[in-house]
Amino acid sequence: MTAFAEFLDTELAPLVRRMADRPRHPDGASDESGNRQIRAMVWQGLAEIGLPTRQQDLVELAELLGSVLYQGPLLDTVSAGSLLARAGLDGLIRKGEAVALAIRAHGAASPAELAPVVAEHGLISARRCFVGFAAEVEHLVVVGDRLALVPRDHPTVTLRRYEETGRGELFDVRFTGTPVTAWIGDGEQWHPLLAAARIRQAAYLVGLSQGALDLAVRRATSRRQFGQPIGRFQALAFRLAELSIRVDAARLLARAAARDADRGLDARLAAAQSLATAAELARTVTTAAMQIHGAAGMAADNDAQVFYRRAAIEALWLGSPTQLRREATPLLIERVSDR
Amino acid sequence: MDAPIELTGEQEKFRAEVCELLCEDSVRVAVARSRRMPYGQETGLLDVHRRLGERGWLAVNWPPEYGGLGASLVEKAILTEELILHGVPDTVHTLGIDIVGLAVHLFGTEEQRRRLLPGLARGETTASVLFSEPAIGSDLASLTTRAEPDGDGWRLYGRKRYSMKTHLSDFALCAARTSSGPVSYHGITLFIVPLRSVGVSIDPLWNLSDERFDDVTLSGIRVTRADVLGEVDDGWQVINRILPLERTGIDSAAKAARLLDALLRHADATGRLAEPVYTQRLLDLDARVRAARLLAWRCVLNLRTGRPDEVHSATAKWYASEVAKELSGLALEVTGLDGVLDAHDAAAVADGVFDAAYREAPGLTLAAGTSEIMLYFVGTSGLGLPS
Repeated sequence: MTAFAEFLDTELAPLVRRMADRPRHPDGASDESGNRQIRAMVWQGLAEIGLPTRQQDLVELAELLGSVLYQGPLLDTVSAGSLLARAGLDGLIRKGEAVALAIRAHGAASPAELAPVVAEHGLISARRCFVGFAAEVEHLVVVGDRLALVPRDHPTVTLRRYEETGRGELFDVRFTGTPVTAWIGDGEQWHPLLAAARIRQAAYLVGLSQGALDLAVRRATSRRQFGQPIGRFQALAFRLAELSIRVDAARLLARAAARDADRGLDARLAAAQSLATAAELARTVTTAAMQIHGAAGMAADNDAQVFYRRAAIEALWLGSPTQLRREATPLLIERVSDR
Repeated sequence: MDAPIELTGEQEKFRAEVCELLCEDSVRVAVARSRRMPYGQETGLLDVHRRLGERGWLAVNWPPEYGGLGASLVEKAILTEELILHGVPDTVHTLGIDIVGLAVHLFGTEEQRRRLLPGLARGETTASVLFSEPAIGSDLASLTTRAEPDGDGWRLYGRKRYSMKTHLSDFALCAARTSSGPVSYHGITLFIVPLRSVGVSIDPLWNLSDERFDDVTLSGIRVTRADVLGEVDDGWQVINRILPLERTGIDSAAKAARLLDALLRHADATGRLAEPVYTQRLLDLDARVRAARLLAWRCVLNLRTGRPDEVHSATAKWYASEVAKELSGLALEVTGLDGVLDAHDAAAVADGVFDAAYREAPGLTLAAGTSEIMLYFVGTSGLGLPS
């Protein structure tokens, strides 16, 4: 983990935060090819360190990624890697290659809702919404009642980039007779994998919350009004203290869920609960960071608004908190009735 | 939408007439277009403002000689609500009529009123507010923009940041220091500053919302006695009188009501309205949006009867803006990722209203008095806690 922390150091972190941000205003000076180069460099750097396999290590990495607002295919690639490993097909993805998960059928409320994946003569036709970084990965996993690994760079795969709150790399992907590289599982494999991915996402959101909180604390210390740093006013100080406590609690929740998963326990309930908690927290902390920054936080050059934008996407990424609780309800009932 | 208070027959008729105009196809098309401007562009006055102005409705509570109909603040609140409920971008209206116009109306000389108000009321001119500075926000009394004596007038030097619509406005209300002494509240003067003049430069400050901030540099623009609003050195009194009057919460409450309406329709269409886990939260916010409107209308009635109440204003402003902000978060919760698509995306739901609301929300609890300052008023003036 130290190697990752050293790589994503204070010098690189500011670049990482904005490497997938495409400002839309006229003099946004979004250097798209420059950003792509930074993303490729970061990807290469992370891949060279080598990704851990234990959930406990992965959640620590995810926290670190969240704290610098890392944007890229790493977490999806981790998920795809574990699917392939279970299917005994690890060789299909070479070291350094990236994978994006294409999960949501049009209108799906949750990544737990699995649409059919229909193949004719080994060719699939499907549409998947909100696929991250589809333009810069080598493979896609089409998720549904069956899971298919397909090449991304193929004429039958078309991408449309969304215009959205996060201004990031989100795509609407259509497959029109795309050849399947390999079938790598079905819904049975997806659900435990989704639980593991949700725990990592919870950790990512804990990191994101910590990053936004750190920004807010710096602002409260440096900004002066009424002759003193605004952090001296209890209205702000108490709010920051409370948020700090809640970030800590969410961190422990995600790490405990990771330990359960490593022990082979059913982690679906813990995953849903830790993600719902972290997602709501990330929204709360980033909103508070905006308030504490005042209008300055809204300005394009201020990272507070980047955290706020990203929180909107990341908090919904693997199911909204409400949706997660909806899915967790039967699991809780099951747990109680098992006693 | 029905007002949460009892309206007279005349007032109901006024609401219906305003609503009818705002529902016309041409207005709806123009409003939709204004929300889908190319990135980096925004609208100032729209044709609909001029049409409302022609009828005397835009500043309906101002006397006829200044372009209004001499109606009450209830009619004005009805107009503000209807503009927002129909999605008409409201910043130009708030700044020009509700803040600058109000200040001129209450504190201007007869000459200033006759010179400035009719254009605003007809929807032909607009005005902005130059109060905040790079290092000055809530603590406005510490402002550093200075007015240096120059013959029978002054020259203004300083930097004003986070103002809105200044680049589209004709003039601005600018707070500057004319003298300094031990009491920082004394020595601030409000000037009416023409914006299309030498000595004023305006740069964009792009930000989270769809409307740019303006970064305004005043480098010696000349103003005279005729441009002073209120008394020299006594601008603080004016600021303290007008901001609470503007802070009724009507705008935030109406924004919340509009968003809630779109959200309930979306939840109904997707089936989530019938799912208890969503319904419970929607019911809660539905009640709180109604409460926000009640608090806001209480302020309107206070003003109507000549009894403005600072604590009621702070209560309404805090509650309505916080509810609107919370609702913008809940909306994404209900819509899921579909809600983050912005108005420019071909697949946007409800014209991108959910993305727009999420990006607008942080400003609601900052502009015209932050939530913290509102709580301070409630704590000190309302509860009598030590200040």
